[in-house]
Amino acid sequence: MGNKQTIFTDEQLDAYQDCTFFTRKEILRLHGRYHELAPHLVPMDYTNDPDCKLPLALIVNMPELKENPFCNRIVESFSEDGMGNLSFNEFVDMFSVLSEMAPRELKAIYAFKIYDFNVDNYLCKEDLEKTLNRLTKEELTPEEVVLVCEKAIEEADLDGDHKLSYADFENMITRAPDFLSTFHIRI
Amino acid sequence: MARSPQRQSSREEYDYTEEYGSHSDQQSLRLRRVPSRVSNQNPPQFDWSSPHEEEDEEGSSGPPRDLRATPLPMALKRAMRQIQQMRVPVVSSRESWKRKKAKSLRKLKESGRGFLSFFSLWSKTLQKIGGNFGGGVQSYFLFLRFLVVLNFVSFLLIAGFVLIPSIVFRSVGSKLINSTGPEACMEYDPNPQGLVVFYNYFLDLLSGTGFMEYSYLFYGYYNNTMVEDVNFSYNIPLAYLLTAVFYFIFCLICIIVRMGTAARVVVATGVSTVGNYSMIAFTSWDYGCLGDRATKLKQKNIHYGLQVDLEEESMKKRAATLTLLQKIVLYSLRVSMCVLSLGLIIAAFFGIFKATEFSQKNSLQGGILGLFFEYLPSIVITAGNFVVPLLCDQIALIERYAPSNTVIVALLRSVFLRLVSLGVLLFTLWGQITCDGAENTGDCKLCQYNHLIYQCWETRVGQEMYKLTLFDFLINIAVLILVEFPRRMVVDNWSNKLTQWVGRQEFVVSANVLGLVYGQTVVWTGALFCPLLPLINTLKFILLFYFKKITLFYNCRPALKTFRSTTSTFFFLVVLLFGWGLGTVVIIYSVAEIRPSMGCGPFSVFPSMWSIVPMSFQKLSITSQEFLFFIGSQSFSIPLFALSCVVMCYFVALASVYGKSVALLRAQLKLEGRDKQFLVKQIEMLSQSQHILN
Repeated sequence: MGNKQTIFTDEQLDAYQDCTFFTRKEILRLHGRYHELAPHLVPMDYTNDPDCKLPLALIVNMPELKENPFCNRIVESFSEDGMGNLSFNEFVDMFSVLSEMAPRELKAIYAFKIYDFNVDNYLCKEDLEKTLNRLTKEELTPEEVVLVCEKAIEEADLDGDHKLSYADFENMITRAPDFLSTFHIRI
Repeated sequence: MARSPQRQSSREEYDYTEEYGSHSDQQSLRLRRVPSRVSNQNPPQFDWSSPHEEEDEEGSSGPPRDLRATPLPMALKRAMRQIQQMRVPVVSSRESWKRKKAKSLRKLKESGRGFLSFFSLWSKTLQKIGGNFGGGVQSYFLFLRFLVVLNFVSFLLIAGFVLIPSIVFRSVGSKLINSTGPEACMEYDPNPQGLVVFYNYFLDLLSGTGFMEYSYLFYGYYNNTMVEDVNFSYNIPLAYLLTAVFYFIFCLICIIVRMGTAARVVVATGVSTVGNYSMIAFTSWDYGCLGDRATKLKQKNIHYGLQVDLEEESMKKRAATLTLLQKIVLYSLRVSMCVLSLGLIIAAFFGIFKATEFSQKNSLQGGILGLFFEYLPSIVITAGNFVVPLLCDQIALIERYAPSNTVIVALLRSVFLRLVSLGVLLFTLWGQITCDGAENTGDCKLCQYNHLIYQCWETRVGQEMYKLTLFDFLINIAVLILVEFPRRMVVDNWSNKLTQWVGRQEFVVSANVLGLVYGQTVVWTGALFCPLLPLINTLKFILLFYFKKITLFYNCRPALKTFRSTTSTFFFLVVLLFGWGLGTVVIIYSVAEIRPSMGCGPFSVFPSMWSIVPMSFQKLSITSQEFLFFIGSQSFSIPLFALSCVVMCYFVALASVYGKSVALLRAQLKLEGRDKQFLVKQIEMLSQSQHILN
């Protein structure tokens, strides 16, 4: 390649290319975006893998995430400490899963984590109610919310425990034709 | 328990999600196994055992693919990758050569993809549209882009095989075959004599007459040159005909290939059922949605969608409880409304028929009035296409179908109206050209076509299609400028109840798609007679893209009601296929049945356009003739037919087997869930009894 960049070593870029769905150019562009979130915190030189994490509040300020009602949950699901602090690795990972080329199964795993508000590995009624309220900006009446949640669980629940486990969720997702195109952030 | 590696890996992923976020001390049965993957609390552990054996078994394409799709944090993936690279797998040299080849092939594919994405038109614009207005509107623009590319490639085809050879051979001045026939039939005078007023050029541009008629635009200008050199021969009539045929086949293949990818999704997920609340809750939010206004609209959209679904459910319940009398009333109402809408459509057809006849009889008028008469069929078609669907929409409301069915019924009526009105126009033209099919009576006796009105009937048909295309484009622009922009300015700047009720323009995807299908059908019916029509259509669609984009962003709000079935690409392509069918019928009939004009065009000496093919066939070498005869004979076609039946049966059997296995797996999933519940309860009972004992 002709251009010499000093942000990453070649080996690091190869590693990123193999571990995500991005090309070298896109990874460098992502680093630019990460850097502009907090220019004084994020070093320009990543060759020795600095340990730098950006807090949740900075990440959700990105224009791609700002208006998303699930932005907090998205960032929390990809952070290792569960609090939403993302290192660059996790930042790239997040956008890789949300990119066009990620397969359905991978997206389903993370979608399940995002919608699981109380992090108990089940989508219970409270999780669904919170999801619906965020989707419709609380314009549905409480009775309608309860009705829709009941119907949703009734449709997708396979093992009869009145909450959705990952298997139920994945089974429902395989029948949804738009899932791949809606669970997609362009960056 | 014997498990296949596939199931084991999916189970491990499932375990992973359970462990990764689990803070509770509830020990489910699955978690009782030794933790084989990362857990949140412990420092990252690494599992050396199963995954790598699986990956080695799967072969060279295994490792990097799996890494990208594993749901592990990035640091772990990088560690895994390092370890993979350090491990030197003990494989044969052939295996390692295969892996190297696969790797380089993959790299080549990805760089190829990157290169091609440079060429993909308008991708950023489409992203912006999708982000702000949703997938339905984006699918319209994707469809438009597909048609632009299709038309452009068709034009390249036609230019390469017909246009450029014609230009070359005309300038070279090759010999023409002299045609024999009655003198009156061979008269063809496209250029009017005498002084031509300059605004006539403008009128000619709009109607394809005058200086435009005798040009490469229309069939009449091409000659039946047959160049035969020592080692090069080119037969323009044959090229013309075969290019037209190949153009149709090429379009069909493109449409079917594109339908294949869309159909896979439709078949796999089944028809979208009403009230699929779980899907709406989890998959309706478009994560790519940008901007504050768009998200608010999206939220309103989802809210409205849920309300509509709830309403449909309650309607279904009500419909199930109708008494017999009410049912009879409802069905008779529906039948009468159907008859009424059919009557409206037939009235529109009659109007088109009369307009076309009138226009063809008075086509020799000059000036603005003449232009008006020329455009009369287009005007009547457009007016019909505007008024009748409005009325049909209202009728569909009276019929009280479920909301999603109402939209589909109205849409099918519009499709029917648009395509068949074009068919009526063509039928009327045919009637006049061939004296209503009786080719040996009246005016058609001399030349087997009506040479009094039509000295060169192919050019006239081509001109009609050209006018239709142009008029469609002008109407779109006019509606944009005269209706949509003023509407937005009125609604934005003058707020009272009326403007609030009218509101901003809504971008109705289905109506716009029908317009595109209509335009493309016109091009298909006219391509044989107006070879440059695909080029004109390419330019028209490119300009339409930009105009529609402008009106979308400035004037429109997204439609509140979107029904997935009507905005799907598969539906658009099915409707496009209907249009293609109409074009095919026209070309087959014109090529096989009607006698070509004797005064113009490459087929003036032949009794029908198709007869060039048998003639050229005779000139082939004996072996090629025998080979082609053999292919057409029974001893080849019957075994071929039997073979294709066998192949089709195989695919049908395969599809049914897959369907059955999907149903079986689904049932198995249910059973497993219940097993798990049962065993968990057993464990609880056992642990309770243990506690009691202790």
